Amino acid sequence: MPDEVKPEGTAQAPAGGTAAPKSPAPKASPPPKPPVPTTMVTTPWDGEIPGRLKEQFGGQVVECASYLDQNFVVAKPDAVIPILDFLKLELDFDYLVDVTVVDWPKKPERFELIWILYSFHRNERLRVKTSIPEGATAASAVSLYPTANWLEREAYDMFGVEFAGHPDLRRILLPEEWEGFPLRKDYGITQMDNRWVRENLGIESGQ
Amino acid sequence: MAEATFLDSTELVLNMGPQHPSTHGVLRVILKLDGEKVMGTECVIGYLHRGVEKIAENRTYTMFAPYVDRMDYCAAVSNGLGYCLAAEKLLKTEVPERAQVVRVILTELNRIASHLIWLGTHALDIGAITPLFYTMREREEILKIFENYCGARLTTHAFRIGGLQYELYDGFEQEVNAFCDTFPARVDEYEELLTGNRIWIDRLQGVGILNAEDCKAYGITGPLLRAAGVKWDLRKAQPYSGYEKYDFDIPTRENGDTYDRYIVRMQEMRQSLRIVRQAVKDIPAGPIMGKVPKVMKPPIGEVYLSIEAPKGELGYYIVSDGTVNPYRVRVRPPSFVNLQAVEKMAKGALVADLVAIIGTIDIVLGEVDR
Amino acid sequence: MRKLLRKIFLLDLVEGLKVTFRNQDPKRIYTEQYPAERPKVGERYRGAPRLNVNPETGETLCIACNLCALACPEHLIVLYSERNEETRRKELTTFTFDTSRCMFCGLCEDACPVDALELTQDFELAGYTREGQIFDRQMLEEGPRPVQYKF
Repeated sequence: MPDEVKPEGTAQAPAGGTAAPKSPAPKASPPPKPPVPTTMVTTPWDGEIPGRLKEQFGGQVVECASYLDQNFVVAKPDAVIPILDFLKLELDFDYLVDVTVVDWPKKPERFELIWILYSFHRNERLRVKTSIPEGATAASAVSLYPTANWLEREAYDMFGVEFAGHPDLRRILLPEEWEGFPLRKDYGITQMDNRWVRENLGIESGQ
Repeated sequence: MAEATFLDSTELVLNMGPQHPSTHGVLRVILKLDGEKVMGTECVIGYLHRGVEKIAENRTYTMFAPYVDRMDYCAAVSNGLGYCLAAEKLLKTEVPERAQVVRVILTELNRIASHLIWLGTHALDIGAITPLFYTMREREEILKIFENYCGARLTTHAFRIGGLQYELYDGFEQEVNAFCDTFPARVDEYEELLTGNRIWIDRLQGVGILNAEDCKAYGITGPLLRAAGVKWDLRKAQPYSGYEKYDFDIPTRENGDTYDRYIVRMQEMRQSLRIVRQAVKDIPAGPIMGKVPKVMKPPIGEVYLSIEAPKGELGYYIVSDGTVNPYRVRVRPPSFVNLQAVEKMAKGALVADLVAIIGTIDIVLGEVDR
Repeated sequence: MRKLLRKIFLLDLVEGLKVTFRNQDPKRIYTEQYPAERPKVGERYRGAPRLNVNPETGETLCIACNLCALACPEHLIVLYSERNEETRRKELTTFTFDTSRCMFCGLCEDACPVDALELTQDFELAGYTREGQIFDRQMLEEGPRPVQYKF
């Protein structure tokens, strides 16, 4: 951006001249940028689905919004499974695309859980989000969508988020005895469970 | 009543993999057998886990692009396309039309290459050795095009966020056209070898059946879903990168068994070729790189974008916190989700069928484990 | 009757062999006789790195701008420079490139503003030690020297 304001022709000169008395800065500063938003700039999402969700669940649905034309629902943790159930049975969201977690260590409710749903019938995508503090358990969606089995196991493996009601909540990608949850923000990129590496691989460190 | 000994037990636990030629990589399957019959399976994965999602959090948006090639290394171009599209959406960048068309050509060629390697290795698992040599030969021609275009054959890093880095080389159109002219006859040749082959049919028909309901419940996408009769392809359902301009069909079958998946993939190769033909006919002139800032700092937000990779729905969920590094990149790998259905498909099958079932899912362990 | 004749004259076998011989065209051989014959790689091939020098003066083209080191996802390029008091320009002192960690993505090459750093068409990068994989400035300026195998 700074390269663009170098005076090239006469057209730039008056602009620079008028700007000079206003600002004492030696260089003609570029036009003031709009302040960078500090939160996600969402647009409210209205329509059939948020209407029915709000009607059914009331205060349990915190927010229905969309960002970049992608809709999402923020719900209270307890209401997630009923909402998924409702979406599946009443609104045809029959395909659970993904279950994932985002770690926000500075927020009081540290883990943001995201369920991405798709409806073949409507050709529409939807995200259900909720936040839980560290140590709290989320409810498992395996009984609704069998595909959640491995996805929840992976979320547990990487973040240590436990899903109550999961039939077989074990680590999936890392070894069973591994300590620590690598995708948490406080886990370093080169960090590893050195004890496990020593005992099982016979080397001092994996690095 | 006599005391039960281990001889009375009908269950036998057998370990298959992680070094087994027909598990297509480092997949380990623990089988519970009753004689030759599979009573239950448990997949043990993670041998190839490299922490791609963690790496992403410590790289800038541009720097992370080469890593995605290393997930599904049979379809590196598709991976790159998905990542670039997701990042572009987050940055609200428009990709020039020329770049979009070139992307479609390369991605479809990559789909063919991926299906070819699947066909060769799957046939090899079943016992047909010849197709492997033929498919590798055709794949070589595609890889030559990749090599001439971007300098690498497998982990291509062909696309950049905002467009393309490399301009087309002289003779690109001719090479692609030459491939398009020879390839249909080659597919006919594979079909001649396999489609009506008695052994092939006997080994595949009725094996690993998944109906449409099961597919949806297990989140299965790609050729497996289409073989079960669901006419769903992201290129049609939610077109990206200009796919809406091309005329192609979604091949489907009804039975949802291994044989149907084979037929679907064979037809998909022909459809991909149709897209390549249409795209290469007139590649629009113009710039190949859209307007992207040198330092990419997407506004705070999140995006989920998925594409139809050769294996199924490949999604990227990127969360930005307004800095140069993505806050979180989640990859929704099709192989990982599809592999989950092995348990369902293999129940009651024979051990030899399990090989066919693993082969038919078309997994790449680099993508399963990330 | 026809079936019997087919069986006697092994017609199915002949048909099968026809397919085999159809693929025997010596013009379309895909097997490469490496290392006796060196395969021709693409012009844009991303292989062993080289630091280009001015062919006339032998001076390095590198202006020590550090952009390649910043672009590298693996942070494997390390370079040091000194400011020449006479010409007021930065001059390269050391340059190391760790090929053992390189994934040949080509981002360093793209970042270079003067085309000094280049990934060449040489692909024989195997070595006996990990230390030998770290290329210093001299090795990079000399460029890769492909081995000629004799048979």
